[in-house]
Amino acid sequence: MTLDFGLIVQNLPEILAAFWMTIWIWIVSNILAVAFGFAVATLRRYGPGWLGLLLRLFVEVIRGTPFLVQLFLLYFGGPFIGLSLDPIPAGLLGMTVYATAYYSEIFRAGYNAVPVGHVEAAECVGLTRGQIIRRILVPEMTMLVLPQCVNMAILMMKETAILSIITVPELTLVVGAIGSQQYAFVEAMFLLALFYWFLVEVSGFLGRIAEARLSKFRFAHS
Amino acid sequence: MSMRLFELMLWAAGNTILLSAISILIGFVIGLMVCAAKVSANPFLRIPGTLYVSLFRGVPLLVQLLLIYNLLPAVGIMVPSVVAAVIGLSLCTAAYQAENLRGGFQSVPRGLLEAADMVGMSPWKQLVRIRAPIAFRLTLPALVNEAILILKASSLVSVVGVIELTRMAQNLSASSFRPLLFYSVAGAMYLVICWAVAGGGSIAERMLRTGSRA
Amino acid sequence: MTRSAVLVRDVHKSFGDVEVLKGIDLAVPQGSTTCLLGPSGSGKSTLLRCMAFLEETTSGTIEINGQPLGFAETGDGRRTRLPAGDIRKVRSRIGMVFQQFNLWPHMTALGNVTEALVTVRGMKRKEANAKGEAQLARVGLGDRGHHYPSELSGGQQQRVAIARALALEPDILLFDEPTSSLDPELTGEVLNVMRELAGGGMTMVVVTHEIGFAASVGDKIVFLDQGKLLLDGPPSEIFGAPRHPRLQQFLETYLDRGAATLV
Ligand SMILES: Nc1ncnc2c1ncn2[C@@H]1O[C@H](COP(=O)(O)OP(=O)(O)OP(=O)(O)O)[C@@H](O)[C@H]1O
Ligand SMILES: [Mg+2]
Repeated sequence: MTLDFGLIVQNLPEILAAFWMTIWIWIVSNILAVAFGFAVATLRRYGPGWLGLLLRLFVEVIRGTPFLVQLFLLYFGGPFIGLSLDPIPAGLLGMTVYATAYYSEIFRAGYNAVPVGHVEAAECVGLTRGQIIRRILVPEMTMLVLPQCVNMAILMMKETAILSIITVPELTLVVGAIGSQQYAFVEAMFLLALFYWFLVEVSGFLGRIAEARLSKFRFAHS
Repeated sequence: MSMRLFELMLWAAGNTILLSAISILIGFVIGLMVCAAKVSANPFLRIPGTLYVSLFRGVPLLVQLLLIYNLLPAVGIMVPSVVAAVIGLSLCTAAYQAENLRGGFQSVPRGLLEAADMVGMSPWKQLVRIRAPIAFRLTLPALVNEAILILKASSLVSVVGVIELTRMAQNLSASSFRPLLFYSVAGAMYLVICWAVAGGGSIAERMLRTGSRA
Repeated sequence: MTRSAVLVRDVHKSFGDVEVLKGIDLAVPQGSTTCLLGPSGSGKSTLLRCMAFLEETTSGTIEINGQPLGFAETGDGRRTRLPAGDIRKVRSRIGMVFQQFNLWPHMTALGNVTEALVTVRGMKRKEANAKGEAQLARVGLGDRGHHYPSELSGGQQQRVAIARALALEPDILLFDEPTSSLDPELTGEVLNVMRELAGGGMTMVVVTHEIGFAASVGDKIVFLDQGKLLLDGPPSEIFGAPRHPRLQQFLETYLDRGAATLV
């Protein structure tokens, strides 16, 4: 087996487009999922009981089934209930829904990890519930959940590869197709693997820097 | 859905369970070795161990599966796709399990080992009688979690043609034009399996905890 | 007798079907220091937390400066919950200091002290900072404003917590074992601040196991036992002979014999 970097050079524009596709779907779905995940966790905590139960069911179902099956259900099953989506919107929606469930669990644990006393101290000086959430819980939680959020984002980076199965033209699909055309599928996959590895390591590195910068807010306890 | 089709789905679910269980077991053994290599003082073991964990956790499982499935024949190894699938799943979960084990071994309180030292246990005895049992208890939740992750991840081997739950749902959807039904049933079956594993895990944890009560 | 800053009348409190407070009556005179003693589990924290409305009483009333806290009695002997705004208003007269400090870890010492001044009282940032600095100076931490809680010792953290409570100019300060999670050599700096506050005429209710502090600073000693208020009087009377047998037992069990004979 020879590693043929010509494979990349010859198809650079296509690969760059695919790379861009992977990156933007990853970033947009993660940003949306962090926002929705936070909303889900907050509603489960402060919302009415029936809504909390419903959201819990949603989270459990998403976390208990494979992402691929969710994608198939959305992409192939969607049209039967009037939801005909092209691969890219379907992929984006699927990623967002999937990640929302996981992020919501991270935030739920984050809410629970803030010591009750910190909230009581805020109540005692007269902060309202909204102020307590905004000024105490969210910032405290942020530093608690940041490592898990970074992990989750990296996990999602790898999950983007699965979008190739519903023909989203992202890296895995495009590089795989180029490899097949040139009868160099193994080489192509090998380069692809190295590339994902690099992406994951770089994201992990950046995540650790962010954590280090927040570490001075670490918990003070007697 | 007819009884016959439901039975097909159940059979495929059985394949999913079997495939995952075998991969978890093989992955555990490889994971132990990788963990041992990674914590070794010898750089010729430590560096490959570290690299293994980093690589197999840094590359999407789908890409790993496609690579292994196509690499084996390319280097002259002809195996059925299900074997390639098990190899792929095992190698991947081994990396995660190695990290879990490492965490478990490192969280065994030092004092317990010092106490073992003081009563004259040899390092090997300490490992077998003290470190390993405690580390195993500590990593059990992570192991259960990993089993659930692999159960779900095993859906990806459908792309290399292994007939497990997802592939069966795919085939039946295609032939019946009823994807909503078959993917929902597949999803429900995954849910039941995952919940069962999670439930079994917490029972095992509780039993171990009572067993370890001082 | 001066008006009561806190007036507790026949307060009961249950958690589930366990009754923790079994009818407490207590008056805290203005400008006085009241020390709450009692064995572990006797309900000291629960009573204090009821006074701060961190726990809701099951029955009975608590008045702060003559205003009902949390509930108002209706004519027929029932009670209704007061609107949140009223509760906040009455509660703003109270400051609370916790055993675990409960400083917000993502804010500096000054941030902790000024947070409520800005978000609750609507003070300008600059004004709040000046006031916060002054409060920190009052507890001997004028130079520590820009430290995060994790960069402060336990005694310093507790003093920041006291400054945080003082910044809102409360009429009454409640302390729940403020020195119990401190290393012995750090309790002195916190007790000194409290001693000064007492000397300055602050109304304080202090749950403490520091018998020496209670005997020397307390104007009033209250001894709780199994959810009932067993003793209530000036230290000379409570600690002097003849001593109530339960108190004697408490002093001997919960402290070493030396302390029991000292006071
Ligand atoms: N939130 C709660 N739920 C249930 N029971 C509680 C709760 N808070 C306190 N209790 C119970 O109420 C009783 C009194 O508790 P409290 O904390 O008031 O005691 P304390 O006198 O402050 O004791 P200590 O000296 O240990 O702090 C205890 O038996 C405790 O278990
Ligand atoms: Mg207490």
